[in-house]
Amino acid sequence: MRKHETAVFILPAGLLVCALLGVPMLMMARISLNHYDPMVLMVEALTAENYLRAVTDPYYQQVLMVTLGVALSSTVLTLLLAFPAAYWLSRMESRWKSTVTILTLFPLLVGNVVRSAGWIALLGNDGLINATLQEAGFIVGPLRLLYTPGAVIVGIVGVVLPYMVLTLSAVIEGIPRQVEEAAGNLGARPLTVFRRVVLPLATPGVVAGSVLVFILCMNAYATPVLLGGPQFQMMAPAVYDQFSRVSNWPFGAALAFILLIVTLLMTVVGSAALSRKYRAA
Amino acid sequence: MTEFTRRDFIGVAAATTLLPRVSYAQSSQVIVGTWGGDYGDLLREGVDQAIMVPQGIEVLQDVSGPVPRRTKLMAERQNRRGSMDVACLADFDMFTATELGALEELDEQNVPRMGNVFPFLRKSHSIPQIYSAHTIVYNTDRITTPPKSIHDLWDPKYRGKVGLSDFLFTTNTAFAAIAGGGSMTDFAPAKKKLMEWRSLDAKVLASTEAVAAAFKSEEIWMTIIAAARGYMWNEAGIPLGHVIAEEGAFPTVYEAAVPRNARNKENGLKYLDAMLEPAAQTAFAAKMGYVPTVSDAILDPELDKRINFTEAEKERFWRPDFAYLAKYQAEMLDFWNRDFKG
Repeated sequence: MRKHETAVFILPAGLLVCALLGVPMLMMARISLNHYDPMVLMVEALTAENYLRAVTDPYYQQVLMVTLGVALSSTVLTLLLAFPAAYWLSRMESRWKSTVTILTLFPLLVGNVVRSAGWIALLGNDGLINATLQEAGFIVGPLRLLYTPGAVIVGIVGVVLPYMVLTLSAVIEGIPRQVEEAAGNLGARPLTVFRRVVLPLATPGVVAGSVLVFILCMNAYATPVLLGGPQFQMMAPAVYDQFSRVSNWPFGAALAFILLIVTLLMTVVGSAALSRKYRAA
Repeated sequence: MTEFTRRDFIGVAAATTLLPRVSYAQSSQVIVGTWGGDYGDLLREGVDQAIMVPQGIEVLQDVSGPVPRRTKLMAERQNRRGSMDVACLADFDMFTATELGALEELDEQNVPRMGNVFPFLRKSHSIPQIYSAHTIVYNTDRITTPPKSIHDLWDPKYRGKVGLSDFLFTTNTAFAAIAGGGSMTDFAPAKKKLMEWRSLDAKVLASTEAVAAAFKSEEIWMTIIAAARGYMWNEAGIPLGHVIAEEGAFPTVYEAAVPRNARNKENGLKYLDAMLEPAAQTAFAAKMGYVPTVSDAILDPELDKRINFTEAEKERFWRPDFAYLAKYQAEMLDFWNRDFKG
């Protein structure tokens, strides 16, 4: 493809991204350097005070750590759950394959808030699980299932699972079945075939799926707010707090950029490490 | 053939640029920045359709949450023309907009019904549309002896049964300040009392709706919220009552104002006047439990008993110092998030 043809193809999407993402981000970057005043809200300045406060304050360090912890746990759990499903889906030869693929997409048709409402109905003190356990006499009082980090991780995994399954299955589908059969014929056990053949060849899918899911987890808002409760803090709700509750746009913008930078760094470092590990294998 | 000189062209072009502005100024329209839901519906029925439309004024509701509306008001204040003719906001947000000079000054000359507003609610740049008080709302089945003091919120016998709305962190902090010996200009004592709440397992609930759900499931028996909310939930079947404690309560006023740069200022002022009409006020009282702000809006005696406040209770209302609240709000949220909730 010639250079000018490439430019024509990427121009519409490029312009859209510049207009709807690049420009607002530049504006946010500028705002993050302003000074906050409770009365006039924002005073024009060129100060790093918001970034300094965010990185030195133990509270926001803790919020960032919780966010990273939840995002990493959710990504690993999603990968573990999605890989077998994606493998099965990609090797499926039944006429139901397209139906199963659509069913995989089905959760994406339900909004995060509605899905969280479902989890609340399931995990709440008077929710289905507690009611059933109490009815069966296994417990006296309700178990605390909702408003816990576990509830947030389960909720987020439920949201991102389809992305991982579809990304992985697209890549696994491209791995010829004969490669696995050849390894088997040469005496490799199923686990060895998986570890030495399938997994290394599926690395691009693992990396792409993990990056996609990790980014979504780092920026999760509705699920931590609804399933984590008011005492559970992650970065996206903390950013929203600064904008909406105290109108501190400069600090909110600085927190947003820190979240962006950390996500970007983790994504680059993580995907490079994963690629190297499985390429070496 | 008609000659069309360069001068003619410039003249027509200049006139054309004026046309939209002239038509805009003359259009009988008013854009009202407001909440949606019941609030928006009540405005539409009681003010837009009942009062404005018969005057030949078309009302367009610009529905959003209070935060975008406040931000829009602040951001547009330097512009020659704003996007709203009327902005509805809570008292605290309206104070900030007033201080920044974003609002038109009001009096009986431009809003005749301002004369009927209760003096304790009257302000220079906004009308009080409806009001209530953040106070103790409790389950009447579980707490048969009504609480008398705000200290009852810290009574160990209600351990784990006091719920606090995360959304109302300012009000909750104000109650803690008063309980700790502080005042509306000294919230420092709140910190100790907030931590006492924490040790008494007070439940922090994510939203107003979560408070209602917690009352319904009897997860909580007592909270601090607008008496009007207690009335609404009571109407929905939850056994609730409210008391104005002997120490007082935190008034909450929903206000409306005309931005100084409103395109249809005259219509905006007419709209404010219409909002103060007795029929519009009583409709809000019946549906949402908020008390009228004008002396000639007479409520049904039964409704009045349930949602209104006696003169003695009104006397006990605290007088929030909004400048102090604005100055320390970020600090309050920090303490609320990291120490109390954290």
